[in-house]
Amino acid sequence: MTSFSPRSLQWLPFSPKSLISRLFTTITLFLCLAGSTFADTYDENLLLQPLSGQFLLASFNFKSHGPIQSFNKQLFELFPRSLGQILQYTHTRELHLRFALGRWDSELWGAQPGDGQNAGGTGVELWAWVEAENDIEAEARWTSLNNALSGLFCASLNFIDSTRTIRPVMSFSPTGDFPHMNKTDLFLLHGTLPKEPVCTENLTPFLKLLPCKGKSGISTLLDGHKLFDASFQSMSIDVRPICSPINGHCDIEIQQNIDMVLDISRSLQRKDSPVPRPRDQHELVCDTTKSYASDEYCYPLDNSFDLPWSLSDLFGRSIAGSCPFAVKEPQTPHVCIAAPHDRQVHPTEGTEIFASQDGKQCFILRENQIFDIALPKQEPPTTPLRQEPLLYAERSFTGHGQEHGGVKTVLRNPSLKDSIEVVYLESLPWFMKPYLHTLNARLLPPPLDGDGDVISELYYRPALDRKRGTQLEAKLVIPANSVVIVTYDFEKAVLRYTEYPPDANRGFDVASAIITIPPHRRGSDRRNVPATSIRTTSLLLSLPTPDFSMPYNVIIFTSTIMALAFGSIINLLIRRFVAVDEVQRMDIKGKIMGLIGKVKKTKAE
Amino acid sequence: MDRKCLLVIGVGVLLRLVLFTAFPSLPTILAQRVEISTPVTSYKRLQEGLYLYTHGVSPYDGGVFHQAPLLLSLFSILPASTISTNLLYILADLSSAVSLIQIASSRVAAITPRHVSPRKDNVWPPWAIAAAFLFNPFSIATCIARPTIVFTNTIVLHSIAAAVQGRRGPAFVSLAMASYLSLYPILLFLPLLMVTYDCSNAASKPSIQTFSIVTTVLFTSVLLIYLKLSHILTGSWEFIASTYGVSLLLPDLTPNVGLWWYFFIEMFDSFRAFFLCLFQLHLFIYVPGTCLRLQKQPLFALTTLVGIISIFKSYPAIGDTALYLSLLAVHNHIFPLMRYTFFLAAAILYATFLGPAFYYLWVYAGSGNANFFYAITLVWSIVNALIVADALYAVLRDEHETERPELIGKDVVQI
Repeated sequence: MTSFSPRSLQWLPFSPKSLISRLFTTITLFLCLAGSTFADTYDENLLLQPLSGQFLLASFNFKSHGPIQSFNKQLFELFPRSLGQILQYTHTRELHLRFALGRWDSELWGAQPGDGQNAGGTGVELWAWVEAENDIEAEARWTSLNNALSGLFCASLNFIDSTRTIRPVMSFSPTGDFPHMNKTDLFLLHGTLPKEPVCTENLTPFLKLLPCKGKSGISTLLDGHKLFDASFQSMSIDVRPICSPINGHCDIEIQQNIDMVLDISRSLQRKDSPVPRPRDQHELVCDTTKSYASDEYCYPLDNSFDLPWSLSDLFGRSIAGSCPFAVKEPQTPHVCIAAPHDRQVHPTEGTEIFASQDGKQCFILRENQIFDIALPKQEPPTTPLRQEPLLYAERSFTGHGQEHGGVKTVLRNPSLKDSIEVVYLESLPWFMKPYLHTLNARLLPPPLDGDGDVISELYYRPALDRKRGTQLEAKLVIPANSVVIVTYDFEKAVLRYTEYPPDANRGFDVASAIITIPPHRRGSDRRNVPATSIRTTSLLLSLPTPDFSMPYNVIIFTSTIMALAFGSIINLLIRRFVAVDEVQRMDIKGKIMGLIGKVKKTKAE
Repeated sequence: MDRKCLLVIGVGVLLRLVLFTAFPSLPTILAQRVEISTPVTSYKRLQEGLYLYTHGVSPYDGGVFHQAPLLLSLFSILPASTISTNLLYILADLSSAVSLIQIASSRVAAITPRHVSPRKDNVWPPWAIAAAFLFNPFSIATCIARPTIVFTNTIVLHSIAAAVQGRRGPAFVSLAMASYLSLYPILLFLPLLMVTYDCSNAASKPSIQTFSIVTTVLFTSVLLIYLKLSHILTGSWEFIASTYGVSLLLPDLTPNVGLWWYFFIEMFDSFRAFFLCLFQLHLFIYVPGTCLRLQKQPLFALTTLVGIISIFKSYPAIGDTALYLSLLAVHNHIFPLMRYTFFLAAAILYATFLGPAFYYLWVYAGSGNANFFYAITLVWSIVNALIVADALYAVLRDEHETERPELIGKDVVQI
């Protein structure tokens, strides 16, 4: 416990002016140190898991929790003060923040780590339970939460306004415990920013929230250059209260997760040469069974052996000893690798090997002792573990042109025995106007009894121009080994020219659909399946664009036409007719008019 | 109604029936054309509103449906089959044709109490006017695409038909319905009042003041009844902002044949409110002018206003132009006095054919930009404005020749 003291001191409000406050601080500090039951606990864990296709999943998990009483009194130990104060100011009781890039290839890699609970849609996703008396107050607190988090994480979260906020009804339920709170006072708000490019400036504040701030422990591996070079990466922050069912003590828990999928061969190549270049011919492994195989023609054979790698190869550095806060009794493992059992794993010499559990090999880090893992080249390749996902989901646009379109989502249940119930949630921008009457869920293969009603429950909140987006939530039942195709049509709105982003012809990002599978008991083997969520990729919607260069021209042209019409009609209305020869016109204009009149007359004759 | 009228109507109805049945995908294709369907009349949006309405979601709490609540109740009691809907639209066109025949038979276009045209004997027979409406490609396309402007047009025509027969009640109840459905027919109140007064039974005619006051009260109260009925149907006043608010404030900038959409896409935010007011007021300006100058021929004042509305309303479509052209056909005796008939006919064909092509280039092919379609809408608007102006010239000339018969066939200038 002694290692806590310098940090705790640093974090406490400290006013040197008053002796009383100094005394108070000292007493508080003493209390904190003396009563170990009130202290925060911290765990960190890195799970490495080779995936098919020479990919490596690295899941970093940082978890700390401490008593909610001291959190409420603003006595922060390991809980980051900056975040804690924001949550208290905005009355946020549970917070989930996601930054994600890339696509999780579930066909190749299988189920997402942590049942997809830590993953978010492309860009930024945020949802929170805010305590408020009414909807307006909740909205105001949500706005200030977004603005504060925007500053904290250097992300454009302040752009989550009413058009990007939805209130999901079926998809989310609180993961924390709220025993002392009236459920009607908690408002769930959800916002997405699919266009947000997640980058290093978001990682730095993320690391700052950790007790060791990336200086020691597994977080030393987190380097922006490597993290954002990954094929898929997701950063998540979850804050929630958890209460013990036995004594009713409540803790506040903050969990930070980073999941990244590294392409091993690309990472190794980056190490050899920072500039991407084609592989030399002698490095290629050719498929000699091809008929055209010769010295000149080579059909490259991937995955003919397991690539050799080590942490320092992939991450550019090795782990610089353990984080002091994560060392405790009884010991918990810091780094685990879930390699196939026939794959050799060589940790740095002298590393303490923790008893391996369910096929994983785990290691404990020592303070100030560098740690690395090396896996040698292995031939023939091993088969990585792959867990079949509960559901495959794909979403795409249909149709062409910039006027109308359609969305098609294909949901496939791979299980041969069990049907599953899923909740499908779409949050669409207001300028994409879906037609609910065209919503159709088709079951493949078609059901034998002809009952094609797949959607059992539907919640729909239509968009209002410039005020709010569309929210569509549907509960579907997907029978075993079948596919459900959900389609609907939509219309693309034309925006005012100031509402287009600078790169208007790139298109507008549409947030990922969120598919939630509620916790249930599986029919075939009576096993409890925890809540799982899956996100589709985001979509790029192209809208018709006006010509941005000519607002003045358009104003002038249209006004001219109106003036012309107005002028000619009013002119006819207010002037009276006389015969040409009745007016005396001695000026040039009159002569010309007379001449034209004569010509016309002769023509008519 | 003679045999020729019945024949024309029969062929017109048959043509629509054939188009609906022989080309089942035609209605869907046409309904997606921006020239025919606008956000405030589109059939697809009506279906969406109907779906939401029957499923207990308020269709007015959304940005898609902007049509009047009574339309919802009309379509919700209708059997939900395509055939019945198609028949309803054909019936509406049939009723329009009958109204036009009634208007033409009354000969109010050429003979009013204060004006008798020297060309009154050159008027086309009623069946020709019905044919001009029923076989007008614009009205056929509008009927097949099924926008709700069809109902507004029918009701406006019915109201005029009642007015030329001097039946005040039906005329203004219908006009209130048309105004309720699409707001802008409210501008026709004054000329319709004049038509009705002119055509009322001369024996029992009250003074113009009493007549106007009673009519205004009648019109306003019927309009209020419609609004209250809608309130009862939807349970809230939300529909006002979502129907009339949209026509007035133009939040939906979907392209159409009018002048507003591109102007307000490109408008600077700080001037948006100013120009919205200006564009709306601009429509009102024409009412006193036309009614004063054309007080001897109020039916033509009404026709001119229909034409002006069809150009300058916030969401115009070719259905509005079809209504104007069929009313203009009633005044066919003044066609010989129009000056630019060939030019205008050519220009309207030009805009009709190039409009869809340029829209395709912009939205689908991507080889043109928005200015292509915008240019065509400018041409379309100016051509329509010139038709209105040219017809106005012809009518004024006709009126002038009644006053000074010695000037027939001579050149005149305006001073």
